[in-house]
Amino acid sequence: MTAPGMQPTPPSRPARGGGVYVHVPFCASICSYCHFARTDHHDAELRRRTVEATLAELDLRRDQSSVLRAGLRPVDTLYIGGGTPSILEAELFRDLLDGLRGRLNLADDAEVTAEANPESFDEDTAITWSQAGVNRVSLGVQSLRDGTLDLLGRAADAATTRAALERACAHFDRVSADWILAPGVTPEALAAEFAEARALGVGHISFYILEWHPGTALTRAAAEGRIAPDPDERVEAVYLAALSALNALGYEQYEVSNACLPGQESRHNSAYWRRRPYLGLGPGAHGFWGRRRHANHAATDRYLAAIDAGRLPEASWELLDGAAGRLEAAILALRTCEGVDLDRLAVSEEALAAGCAEELWVLDRHRLRLTTRGFLRIDAIESWLSSHVIVPERCARVDTSGEGRLPCRDSKQHHPNGTTRA
Amino acid sequence: MDQYRNFCIIAHIDHGKSTLADRLLELTGTVIGKDRKAQVLDSMDLEQERGITIKSHPIRMEYAAQDGRTYTLNLIDTPGHVDFHYEVSRSLAACEGAILVVDAAQGIQAQTINNLYLAVEHNLTILPVINKIDLPAADPDAVTDQIVDLIGCDASEVIRVSAKTGEGVDALLEAIVAQVPPPAGDVKAQAQALIFDSIFDPYVGAVAYVRMMQGTIAKGQRIRLIQQQRDHEVGEIGWFRLSRVPRKELSAGEVGYIATGAKDVRHIRVGDTVTLVDDPCLEAMSGYSEAKPMVFSGFYPTDNDDYDNLKDALQKLQLNDAALTFEPEKSAALGFGFRCGFLGLLHLEIIQERLEREYDLNLIATLPNVEYEVVDKDGKILLVENPALMPPSQEITDVREPFVRLSVISPKEFIGAIIQITLERRGTQRKMEYIDTERVNIEFDLPLSELVVDYYDKLKSVTRGYASMDYEYTEHRAGNLIKLDIMINGEPVDALAFIVHRDKAHHWGMEICRKLKELIPRQMFQVAIQAAIGNRVIARTNVKAFRKNVTAKCYGGDISRKRKLLEKQKAGKRRMKQVGSVEIPQEAFMAVLKVER
Repeated sequence: MTAPGMQPTPPSRPARGGGVYVHVPFCASICSYCHFARTDHHDAELRRRTVEATLAELDLRRDQSSVLRAGLRPVDTLYIGGGTPSILEAELFRDLLDGLRGRLNLADDAEVTAEANPESFDEDTAITWSQAGVNRVSLGVQSLRDGTLDLLGRAADAATTRAALERACAHFDRVSADWILAPGVTPEALAAEFAEARALGVGHISFYILEWHPGTALTRAAAEGRIAPDPDERVEAVYLAALSALNALGYEQYEVSNACLPGQESRHNSAYWRRRPYLGLGPGAHGFWGRRRHANHAATDRYLAAIDAGRLPEASWELLDGAAGRLEAAILALRTCEGVDLDRLAVSEEALAAGCAEELWVLDRHRLRLTTRGFLRIDAIESWLSSHVIVPERCARVDTSGEGRLPCRDSKQHHPNGTTRA
Repeated sequence: MDQYRNFCIIAHIDHGKSTLADRLLELTGTVIGKDRKAQVLDSMDLEQERGITIKSHPIRMEYAAQDGRTYTLNLIDTPGHVDFHYEVSRSLAACEGAILVVDAAQGIQAQTINNLYLAVEHNLTILPVINKIDLPAADPDAVTDQIVDLIGCDASEVIRVSAKTGEGVDALLEAIVAQVPPPAGDVKAQAQALIFDSIFDPYVGAVAYVRMMQGTIAKGQRIRLIQQQRDHEVGEIGWFRLSRVPRKELSAGEVGYIATGAKDVRHIRVGDTVTLVDDPCLEAMSGYSEAKPMVFSGFYPTDNDDYDNLKDALQKLQLNDAALTFEPEKSAALGFGFRCGFLGLLHLEIIQERLEREYDLNLIATLPNVEYEVVDKDGKILLVENPALMPPSQEITDVREPFVRLSVISPKEFIGAIIQITLERRGTQRKMEYIDTERVNIEFDLPLSELVVDYYDKLKSVTRGYASMDYEYTEHRAGNLIKLDIMINGEPVDALAFIVHRDKAHHWGMEICRKLKELIPRQMFQVAIQAAIGNRVIARTNVKAFRKNVTAKCYGGDISRKRKLLEKQKAGKRRMKQVGSVEIPQEAFMAVLKVER
């Protein structure tokens, strides 16, 4: 079955170049579950300053990386996330994309995704984005029922959300929608909502089990007894129901929380899981380039102050050695349906067999792939597996000085885009 | 020889022995300026931290007394814990006097009495001292009465001091000179010296700490250790200040050291007698015995690659600790390790702590146990130090276990609780006597196995820390003992096996299963826990598989957070041991300690 508005999509393939992630930290209001880097205190001037600073950050990074400067690694996925990118004014959004394009060797067939929230994804925004080169939209649906949207503290109601989803599908070939498996959601309601999405032409669905992060309104409400988190058994049941509903609609799971129609995988996110390099730009963004992971200042004022001073706006960074890298590669691969290469693990035959017998994983073409049952215990399995990843001896270095400078000379030689000229 | 005074200080733990030693060193000018610090003689970090003395630390002081003469005082600071009874007795044998220190607030405690008896046995002159008179809670009059009752001295003979402020310490020095008899012993007789401690020095080899009883030994002479039947040459001889001071010779009445060049401290046994090869004395000093381990535990590295490091570390510690024994041992569950023997629980703890701290080893220690005498069908006696190696019950006729004589001193209000916890542990009461109107001394016979498991902690908790205890091995006695096996996922875990009285087996089996269920974290798989006697399962429970899960979104590609969490968890797992597909934490091997009776 082909949904209205669907057109042939570029085939999914592993990213060869690099990715770029841009974080837009502004939201209309704060959702009750959210612990991301975001703020609802902003105005047009701050938004513009931040976009300009983000482009300035890219200039700083280009100055320090010959690879970037020479465009040696083409950018084949660009992802504008948030926060709420759809809150940016049309002109500002265009300036951002044009600015990025002018500074990056963006591949012709690059996947360009932008995240939207229903309340700010109007007709003009859709048209602006399409013209600016966005070819994939990821809409924060979370639910299509007013009660659940209320609980999650979403700015949009069900009708607005539905309209935004229709709009996204009308304007874009590739649409992804996020759902949250929130307390009180029934398997039946979830299946009906997914079916609506499928009928509209949504090609990609992310379904996240609700995380209870400290400091969020929802966690406070639970602590005060105003709402009751679902028991583990129920969460499991809803997750399993979500998967079978998606399967019935033709979506295939390819990661613990992601499923899509054939060929509709997120190339950008898949690159994260394959441990491909990506630049992270903007307040609170994370990046991984060379063997270096960094996190930018999440507070917009600190971010802007660093950029104004001509410094990289990094709150912390670390140079990953073999041990940390192997561990990351293993836990990232474990999330995916490709699984982990057994050569990377030092696990006894006995333990491998026990996991198969318990249906936590299957062994297939020399890879360990989690089953659905295994995905439900991924935390425990990751924790167990982390002791069995074959790693070299050395350890990672961490700098939390916030100055984004390299603390010592010997780490510089491992570091192609060093941030100091000392 | 008239001006020598050899004495030791005996006290219950924490009654201020080491601080009093500090004051004596200061007042005699032995320690000045930069060397001044608290508890000078306790040189190991562990000794300073835990406030206990592990090795003897003799020191020689010169004291200008009020009578105008200068006296040489040899203080032998003795180990202050029940585990080191034998060492204490040898130190006492090297002295003519003992300062009996009693805390002005706490009064007489179990070790005070036992040490006192020991000193009296050695015919030492006792100088009773009440310490900590500066404390607000001090009640020196009441404590004086206790002391008068105990040793039958006159109240006026009890010296009151504050080792902390120095008050009264000068009077104590005068009393030492006036009351401790000078040593007897003929300088011209055949040389005879008592070894009261020994250490290993990497430069000069094993060093014997000696008291010259008679005769003279000089550098370069050939000496013989009578019990060990070994001859050595005196590489260095001398006496003690804060460090060793080489001399030409040591003569009757003196305390000092002899560097023997021996490669192994076990050849220089405490209690042995040193004489000269050319002109030997006829008799060895009486009272010699070899330190015998009473408590055993399997030490296993959590990381199997650390086996050789553990072996090296144990060898190094043994250089200075003749009482420590270890034998290689293999456990199906824990891999390769060592069955180690200790004088007691404190000795065990000290060794374990030093291995972890000084040698950076992560260890799994199995439940402490005692040595059983197992009599087989042919009447042969087999010594079993590891419960896992206990033969099947059909092959044996008798199991004997070590018993101790335990004395507990406590305020009278806790009598009921003390008797209860002791009877629950198969103790039998032998006697009870009032020390004064408030406090009693209760004696029990008790299996050592019950004592080493958790008795001391339990005693402290039911008496809110007011009780003190001391014990001494008496004999092995037959008991109706059986081995309880613990199985994880159907496989017996040898390191969890233990020996228990048959009447209690069922209760213990259920309780251990329950405790293990609490201690073994939820894992990927369900874990079955069973307790069994022979082939008969007597208790079982399950640890359910881990369910809770979060499919976290990789926000903005933030992978570091997850990785760091896993790295942290991994570090936390250093104390876990993989047994089959189950991860068992160190605490699980101690589960028996947490069982309610």
